Amino acid sequence: MLAPSIDRPSSMTAQPALLAVRDLTVDYGGVRAVGGITLHVGRGEIVGLIGPNGAGKSSALNAISGDVPASGGTVVLNGRDVTRLAAYRRSRLGLGRTFQTAKVFEGLTVYEGLVTAVRGASGASLWQTIIGRGRRLEEEQAGERAWRMLDQAGLDHIADLFGRELSGGQRRFVDLTLALIKEPQMLVLDEPMVGVAPSLVPRLLNQLRSVAAQGTGILIVEHALEVVAALCDRVVVMAAGQVIAQGTYDEIAADTEVRRAYLS
Amino acid sequence: MSAFVSISLVYLAIYTLSAWSLNLQYGYAGIINFGWIVFQSIGAYVAATTALGSPTSGGFQTYIFGARLGFPLPLIMGTLAGAALALLLGLIILTRRIRPDFQAIIMLVVAIIAAEVVSTNTALFNGANGLSNVPQPFNGVMHLSYNNYQWFFVAFSFALCIIVYFGLEWICRSSWGRALRAMREDDILASHVGINVQALRIVVFVIGGAIAGFSGALLVEFLGTWSPDAWSFVESFVVFVSVYVGGRANNRGAIIGAFLVPVVFGTMPSFLPEFGYPGLSANLEWLVIAALWLTTFYLRPAGILPEGRFIARRTRAREQAPVMPPIAKQGSVA
Repeated sequence: MLAPSIDRPSSMTAQPALLAVRDLTVDYGGVRAVGGITLHVGRGEIVGLIGPNGAGKSSALNAISGDVPASGGTVVLNGRDVTRLAAYRRSRLGLGRTFQTAKVFEGLTVYEGLVTAVRGASGASLWQTIIGRGRRLEEEQAGERAWRMLDQAGLDHIADLFGRELSGGQRRFVDLTLALIKEPQMLVLDEPMVGVAPSLVPRLLNQLRSVAAQGTGILIVEHALEVVAALCDRVVVMAAGQVIAQGTYDEIAADTEVRRAYLS
Repeated sequence: MSAFVSISLVYLAIYTLSAWSLNLQYGYAGIINFGWIVFQSIGAYVAATTALGSPTSGGFQTYIFGARLGFPLPLIMGTLAGAALALLLGLIILTRRIRPDFQAIIMLVVAIIAAEVVSTNTALFNGANGLSNVPQPFNGVMHLSYNNYQWFFVAFSFALCIIVYFGLEWICRSSWGRALRAMREDDILASHVGINVQALRIVVFVIGGAIAGFSGALLVEFLGTWSPDAWSFVESFVVFVSVYVGGRANNRGAIIGAFLVPVVFGTMPSFLPEFGYPGLSANLEWLVIAALWLTTFYLRPAGILPEGRFIARRTRAREQAPVMPPIAKQGSVA
């Protein structure tokens, strides 16, 4: 029996979606990990992507961020079709992401990593390094920005630590900060609470809320349902590569299809 | 004795340039270029043929690109040849589709095939006999004795090394060098902070190739000869060991590596009295170099001069902000 999935297209028509994913499919060889999902995230909206293991959540996320190629469908970021664009182009268009196992630059200090993230493409251009005017100013501004992020978190003492010297929680912080420091319009988070001390979870939730309050859209894959319930405006449920339900947390918690997918 | 010292010093300069080239590609950018020697070699060949003159003028050697260019054009041509080959091979090999370890193997295979092709095809660079009688820069005009010319070349190559050193240090310590290291550490994360990793790889590969070609050009101008014997694929590993022993991503370490590995330990076995079968003591060079590599792995895994830690300094304004209470200036509204 098909339970009617809960969708609210009204919120999509109210304002153009920041991220619009349509019929997205991802194949690995002959295996179809994502079988044509459609979802959208609006400005300032926090959308949770949940589902049992192997549902295709991470594959969908990787296709949205450009880490795996989509074999079908479209990804539209801020009105622009980015489906065929490489990850670095999506990053320049305002898409930030974090990783399931927190990624940091192991052999760079935290400060260097953050400054690299602020400078982005201009810092990696040999041409601008050689002839660039205002290069020093750009470096200084990037440095100040890095200090501000570290100060805000009360972590200025880790500035000179190599990425490989960080604790699990610090890695999470740096991973998120690398994505946040350029103030992305759209943020894609892959299980950001894993490895974070329970006492720090509320602080992280507040940080994400304040990021969203400034207009950034957030798509978050998370297994901890209490986090999803506390944080997300809307929840998209995936199972076996398909979206099986969308709605508020309370709506999808009552959905029989969702319950069956999680229990089976 | 004087000749021995001067020749060793020229070799030190050449091997230092070599180590810098590979250090840029491998130490900073993480590209495992097992075919490094090919880039030095093409620089040497092109510098030789562009200095030798046209092969049709009744010479005993056959080669391509023959021209008689005055100094410093052969050096520049050799440098450009290294860069051009790096661009070509980089575009083919350093793609996203090929995993980095396979890229390394492909480079190695390219080096082996290139040596085979150049040895057997005499039309390219005179085959296995190689090129000889390459004119030495300024030797015709300065009328120096053999010894004095050697010392002149020492000064000349050291001066070039100093220029290359400062250029390299400048770009390696810039935001560009930091982006290289970010890419080396994690190319996926680097691309998510907006760095075009593919393009950056090609650019650094070409610069490394140019320095390799330059080192080859300088070497052939000094030696006057260049043949496939001089660039067997194992020569790449001598340079790799230099970078490892000196310290990856450290240009001063590369100087130490170039001094210790090929110049000191590499030539030491040739001073031993001949023993065993003919050529045994010469081949001990490889044993010594391998032992040096392993010893470094155990004792100093990051090399003699490891990559340093960057200590961030706050700009003055930020340092003072928390310490100094805001003081209303005279005449200010506040």
